[in-house]
Amino acid sequence: MTSAPEEHLRLEGIGVSFGAVNVIPALDLSVRKGEMVAFLGPSGCGKTTTLRIIAGLNKPSRGRIMVGGRDITRLPIHDRDMGMVFQSYALFPHMNVTRNVAFGLQMRNIPSRDAESRAAQALDMVQLGHLAHRKPKELSGGQQQRVALARALVIEPSILLLDEPLSNLDAKLRDEMRVQIRALQQQSGITAVFVTHDQVEALSMCDRVVVMRGGRVEQFGTPTEVYERPATAFVANFVGRTNRLKGAITAEGTLTAAGHQLRSATTLPPGAVEILVRPHRIRIDDAAETANRVKGAVSGITFIGDLVQYAVRVGDAEVVVEEATRRDRSALAVGDTVTLGWSAEDTLVYPAGEQ
Amino acid sequence: MSAVPTTTPVPAAPRQWRDGELAVLLLLPIALINAIGFILPVLNLARYSFNKSRVGGGIEAVFTWENWAGLLSDPFYLELVFNSVWISLAITLTTLVVSYPIALYLHRASGAWRTFLTVLVISPLLTSAVVRTYGWIAILVDDGPVVGAIKALGLPAPSLMFNIKGVFIGLTEILMPYMILALMAGFGRLDPRVEEAARTLGATPSRTFMKVILPLTLPGIALGCLLCFVLAVSSFITPKLMGGGRVFLLATEIYDQAIVTLNWPLASTLSILVLIVFGAALWAYSAVLRRLD
Repeated sequence: MTSAPEEHLRLEGIGVSFGAVNVIPALDLSVRKGEMVAFLGPSGCGKTTTLRIIAGLNKPSRGRIMVGGRDITRLPIHDRDMGMVFQSYALFPHMNVTRNVAFGLQMRNIPSRDAESRAAQALDMVQLGHLAHRKPKELSGGQQQRVALARALVIEPSILLLDEPLSNLDAKLRDEMRVQIRALQQQSGITAVFVTHDQVEALSMCDRVVVMRGGRVEQFGTPTEVYERPATAFVANFVGRTNRLKGAITAEGTLTAAGHQLRSATTLPPGAVEILVRPHRIRIDDAAETANRVKGAVSGITFIGDLVQYAVRVGDAEVVVEEATRRDRSALAVGDTVTLGWSAEDTLVYPAGEQ
Repeated sequence: MSAVPTTTPVPAAPRQWRDGELAVLLLLPIALINAIGFILPVLNLARYSFNKSRVGGGIEAVFTWENWAGLLSDPFYLELVFNSVWISLAITLTTLVVSYPIALYLHRASGAWRTFLTVLVISPLLTSAVVRTYGWIAILVDDGPVVGAIKALGLPAPSLMFNIKGVFIGLTEILMPYMILALMAGFGRLDPRVEEAARTLGATPSRTFMKVILPLTLPGIALGCLLCFVLAVSSFITPKLMGGGRVFLLATEIYDQAIVTLNWPLASTLSILVLIVFGAALWAYSAVLRRLD
């Protein structure tokens, strides 16, 4: 990482309209050289469309795409120098693994012997050197995905584009591939854009996260910022789990919910509000947590192993509390009265009816 | 009353078919139909080709090599076979070239537009080839619109009807629906994402076509070509009507020998020859498929 990371990819007012429908109104985004940015959002939020616009596979209705200071908006796909990994892998079924990986080099008119030795190196990089002569259909899903990754990386593209690359893999393989993709991206220092609907992938793999909804950027920040200081109630709900309470801010500026007065680090004008508190930030019967203290009755207990989930009835609301399992915790039972406590910083407040 | 059974009879358990028995049973009807409707007539044809023909249409049931020897030593027939195969191949290739873009477009179209276009492709098949052939005759005759248009441009107008050109144009159009359908059936492996992958990896549209689209559509091309070649060699109505009696091909010659000259042994010999040509085409097709795999 350089000390002053320069901008590498820039989207300026990118918009997409189908007839009168504005799918993406106007998107502005700046990605630094060597960073991995996630486009995170529910399906239909425009994240894949934006990725395809960067690749040149879709045409924007308006706006500019700049890479390294150069306007590439009108550049044909094959001149853009992007390495793309597709959700369906999209390997060439009629070519063996080596020929698949060497394809991009061949298109750059690199002599076939050079191309093949570089393809072999790329395959070693993803630990698939031993399968060089197989056809794609003879490989497992995870192996195919690694071939697709090698194929995209071997051309040393200016930007690596990943379109939901892990969603067709099973959970265990997904964990492995997450680590591997991130390691390869950091080794090669390549700028990467990663489209996903999975917040764990976005938070764990990427330097920064763009949370998108309805073709708009809800928040653009580091994983910590997005998680700890969600810009909107939508972001707070989409990234991580939360308790949602209906509340109000009185004319005097007091925050109340479920019959309790609460304290938050954020201040909003008087009116109806939505209060979000993450389940694992709530302490049970902890005298040290004094900012917010509410009494409730345990209405359900779910033991997950490393976690215990308590459902606690507070007034007319139900609050979920998560706690790491501890042996010193005296067993709580359904019906027990407990005091819940959490800090003012963990009380996220948003105007009601925002979504 | 004397024969009252002392125990209630146990109903027989349903008979368990073994796999082999079931397969034989299921294949029996089609095997019978094929044997009666195809194998037997072909064997009969083969037998006729070794019989002697009598003037007036009679068949003398004696064994003779006469038909085969006559056929293989007569330059007229050798040229007929050569012309038929060559013209059919040329028609097949032309049909392929004009059908391929349509099939590719249809493969990529979606929704109601695709359904509409597919119906448009199939609809000529719902019209008799005779009707369509007469349509082409009306269009291509010397005082028809095509020749008229060429003349209006001040160009020397070729005669397009009642010669091989007319047969070529007519057969190509008549075979197009078959070619398009066969191509589309063979385009299954063509995933738009794969084309996009090629494009992002730096392939120009033309190189994407040569390196990815064409190789992936070869099975469809092979199937379409086999189908159209066989149909072209055996087509009879269109060459007969559009050739105006001046175009001699295997199928028209078989018709003439069987119906006009009433020389059934010679017609049979020619028919068997057509079957041999088909066998060669089928062999070539399977050889291509083996190489593709």
